[in-house]
Amino acid sequence: MRDTPLSNCERLFLLKAIEAKKRLDGRQTYDYRNIKITFGTDYGCCSVELGKTRVLCQVSCELVPPKDSRPTEGIMFFNLELSPMASPAFEPNRQSELLVTLNRQLERCLRNSKCIDTESLCVVSGEKVWQIRVDVHVLNQDGNLMDAASIAAISALSHFRRPDVAIQGQDVTVFSPEERDPIPLSIYHMPICVSFAFFLQGSYLLVDPCEREERVKDGLLVIAMNKHREICSIQSSGGIMLLKDQVLRCSKIASVKVSEITELINKALENDRKIRKEGGKFGFAESMPKERITTLKRDDAPVEMTDVKETASDIVNRTETTTEVVPSPVLVAMGTAQVGEGIVNSWALDEDEEDEPQTEDRKTDEVMVISDSEEEEVVILHEEAQKSTKTSKQK
Amino acid sequence: MAVEMRLPAVHKHISLAASQSNRDDKHLVVPGDVITSDTGFMRGHGTYMDEDRLTASVAGEVERVNKLICVRPLKTRYNGEVGDVVIGRITEVQQKRWKVETNSRLDSVLLLSSVNLPGGELRRRSAQDELAMRDYLQEGDLISAEVQSIFSDGALSLHTRSLKYGKLGQGVLVFVSPSIVKRQKTHFHNLPCGASIILGNNGYVWLYPTPGQQDEEAGGYYTSMEPVSLSDREVISRLRNCLLALAAHKVLLYDTSVLYCYEASLPQQIKDILKPEIMEEIILETRQRLVEHEG
Repeated sequence: MRDTPLSNCERLFLLKAIEAKKRLDGRQTYDYRNIKITFGTDYGCCSVELGKTRVLCQVSCELVPPKDSRPTEGIMFFNLELSPMASPAFEPNRQSELLVTLNRQLERCLRNSKCIDTESLCVVSGEKVWQIRVDVHVLNQDGNLMDAASIAAISALSHFRRPDVAIQGQDVTVFSPEERDPIPLSIYHMPICVSFAFFLQGSYLLVDPCEREERVKDGLLVIAMNKHREICSIQSSGGIMLLKDQVLRCSKIASVKVSEITELINKALENDRKIRKEGGKFGFAESMPKERITTLKRDDAPVEMTDVKETASDIVNRTETTTEVVPSPVLVAMGTAQVGEGIVNSWALDEDEEDEPQTEDRKTDEVMVISDSEEEEVVILHEEAQKSTKTSKQK
Repeated sequence: MAVEMRLPAVHKHISLAASQSNRDDKHLVVPGDVITSDTGFMRGHGTYMDEDRLTASVAGEVERVNKLICVRPLKTRYNGEVGDVVIGRITEVQQKRWKVETNSRLDSVLLLSSVNLPGGELRRRSAQDELAMRDYLQEGDLISAEVQSIFSDGALSLHTRSLKYGKLGQGVLVFVSPSIVKRQKTHFHNLPCGASIILGNNGYVWLYPTPGQQDEEAGGYYTSMEPVSLSDREVISRLRNCLLALAAHKVLLYDTSVLYCYEASLPQQIKDILKPEIMEEIILETRQRLVEHEG
């Protein structure tokens, strides 16, 4: 199904906002969205959430005969799939341009950079080697699939354990995970892709574009780098012309971001390793947040309505009419005035107060003591004629 | 900044007695429901044969025409009829025609020969016209048009051969379900509250400020870029929220219902109209007035 086209209004709004250095979600120009890396129960299963973009990667291995041109090297196979779950624009079995671009970029980033030692994957030279298969599934598309896919792929590869093999002459024994602990892959470095989107003929750039920003972009620059500041691959698409210092600046930003992301991946791997060692629960189910606000739904409660009228009129008769409140300020003494009424202080309930009749009559010539302080005597400095305030309302 | 919080409560579905009787006449089905076990009927759209029983495959109303049984779905993409007014967005500019997105299964087609040339002249379209197509309508433009005919694959062929159709200027587009828009004689209304509305049969509703004077010679391509006054914008915002409230409660949209809903919402603030409790109040009042108005 084709995506609904972006309205002119929205396009203009996004471009104007970018000109004013504002992004839809409030990020800064060089900010990444929240990255969340979780591992599944199997070794080699990793799910990455980059904001709302969700990507799942699964690594698996198989013993196969090697390629003729390289008899001593293992084989790496990369496959990225755009699931229709991710966006209504993705149709199953449709070879779209985006799919080809992502696949190609993933391969270049991981295979050509030689981040995995393929020689260590050889079992019997010329006959049996390990084929490592990396499957990336896009679960939700909200922009910047390339970065999420590369993070997921390299995390899954670092997390993956292949079965142990023993060679005795011509016999090759593959041990199951219960017999012997599986071995991790030997990874030299972690290449991570960082995407830069360019707008308005290359004058503005944004790191980690979200889906709306991607729709209005002019061009895209993807730099794959590792934390040792080595560029593994660089690709510019969209036909925009970039200046030399722009590309240099992007690579500097990329190195900062890559070191942050690598740290994040290492932390996630470390956490997972610790939990597994301690025997705790691990997997996707455990990484989901437990704190939830559950809704409380109450149905209508039946109410006794038989003698409502009588009880209501009873209550009305028993309560007395509310007294009028003097709105204007009442001058109590020189320098003190009172506006409105306060409620009767309920902290110190004397017996006198309880027995007092509801309507109080105060002698008007007595000095009215307003304060509730516990000082012995309140002396009002100037005695002047006071208007007696009406009785206070009952509680 | 004040934040509003609302505790969940059980929502009672308010329905007037008048609508109850209507519902009993209709034969509503859900996918999997057996319509009839009689094998004498021909099966139409929305049905399939399941072991000699005619079963529904979509959720909707059963329609029977002599021996043909079909199910008309309640929620569906827009199925065009000749003579419908639609609002669409240009997605592609091709040779001698434009592709228009109209919330239907296929993009509709607007042929170059079906539009009015600027200046209103009547002549054969030349190659120069073809090259200048992009000057008339570009990708992303909104147009109002009428369905001229339907191709064999179901795609609609549109035309803007009248001065009231053409490119739309400043306004607000609201998306509702196509089944909610009532079929009427005219879909262009100048509401007395100070705005104008185009109720597209495809579920796209266009609200715009009432133009001061009609610009005859432009032929539908001139869009005024003058700033719209605040009072007009408020009226249009209120109308938009009313439309969304009506659509949420599945009230048929036509000029009277929109107007009643607008008047019922006047005591509320524009931003409060979409709150569930206030929405229910407004819709209840609207429904009551509509029932009184009808009979």
